[in-house]
Amino acid sequence: MDLSILEQLMTFITLPFQSFLTIEILLIFIILLIFLLYNEKRKSKKVKISFTALIIFFFSLLVFYFSEDIITVLSEIIKTLMRCFYFPNIIFYIITALISLILLIYTSLKNNLTKLNKIITYIFTIIHLYLFTNFISLAIINNISLTDTANIYQYDDMFVIVLFSQIIFILLIIYKVIYHFCYIKYRKLKNIK
Amino acid sequence: MWLKDQTMQRKNKNIKSQLFKVGFFFLIVGILVIISTPLTKLKGEVFEEMRLAIFQLNINKENTTISDINTENLEMTTENTEVAEENDKKANYSYIGELSIPKIKLRRGFVSKESRYNNIEYNITIAQEADYPDVPMGNFILMAHSGNAYISFFDKLYKLQIGDEASVSYNANTYNYRLTNIYNQAKTGTVAIYRNPNVKTLTLITCTHNDDYNQTIYIFEEI
Repeated sequence: MDLSILEQLMTFITLPFQSFLTIEILLIFIILLIFLLYNEKRKSKKVKISFTALIIFFFSLLVFYFSEDIITVLSEIIKTLMRCFYFPNIIFYIITALISLILLIYTSLKNNLTKLNKIITYIFTIIHLYLFTNFISLAIINNISLTDTANIYQYDDMFVIVLFSQIIFILLIIYKVIYHFCYIKYRKLKNIK
Repeated sequence: MWLKDQTMQRKNKNIKSQLFKVGFFFLIVGILVIISTPLTKLKGEVFEEMRLAIFQLNINKENTTISDINTENLEMTTENTEVAEENDKKANYSYIGELSIPKIKLRRGFVSKESRYNNIEYNITIAQEADYPDVPMGNFILMAHSGNAYISFFDKLYKLQIGDEASVSYNANTYNYRLTNIYNQAKTGTVAIYRNPNVKTLTLITCTHNDDYNQTIYIFEEI
């Protein structure tokens, strides 16, 4: 951790030559890269399919040998997402509020959006920002420190406010993503640039 | 003839498309059913982490209070804590302590014996016959389910071996124990506990791993 930039660079360069296994891994990846680059010239479909099969085989092997670790990693990822949803820390919560605010301003300034889209966005963002403001005011009234996450969620009303505002925020994001994809598809169908 | 063929083809296509939709629907339902149990378990773990963090936070607050006042007021503080705990119990359940077994990555809180959440369906349960960890030469007895369910808090106890360590945080103190004995008994509704009465012990009771008819008792002695 306390290495200088030169030492960091030297470590990075010597890293692939530390053991036979690391040299092997390096060679496999170099061969794969050359293989792909060469195929760009030949454009063989067989090579593309066999490459995909090779990648799938490689990852299946990894899954087979490290299934327990992969499950642990997946569980941790899901738990992190759940933590962000149920018990977001104050920084994450402020970021969601900022995204809502930006979406609200963007929607109000943009003229070529449909009326329905604007109305739905306004409703979601206003509810989300209202809940966020409520959260902050409750923290001020009850003198709750927002720096410690556990401190926030020992109060049931704070937990409920955050939970509902997270639900609203996720609905808003899902709506925006679906709308965006539908919009792109519609434009493609109508051939609008 | 040609028109008939066209209609037949369209009909076949429609049936195929509908079959695909039904198949897709069942696939999604199947996936949801399969992942619902592990997701519920993960959600429980996330909530448990937060409950433990809140418990730890309150312990830190109590410690600060104790260090701020002189020992004459200590009794008064204890009474106040009891009142606060009583109120907490009425509102929701707050932990009074925490069991930790690092080897199997178990960290779980427990509520007081009087709480209605001191129930095997909610938490690691303190047996009514148990002494609290601060009682000299006492036996602190905890019970929980094992298996795959969300409430199977002792699902990995079978991995423990003699010599493994456990700790219990209670009343701002940590009590460390070492596993000294493991034995099985038939499930008859009661359990006999064999322990050294001259040592403070922690007893964990759960169903025997992959066995429907027995229960396993783990005896830990204070280090």
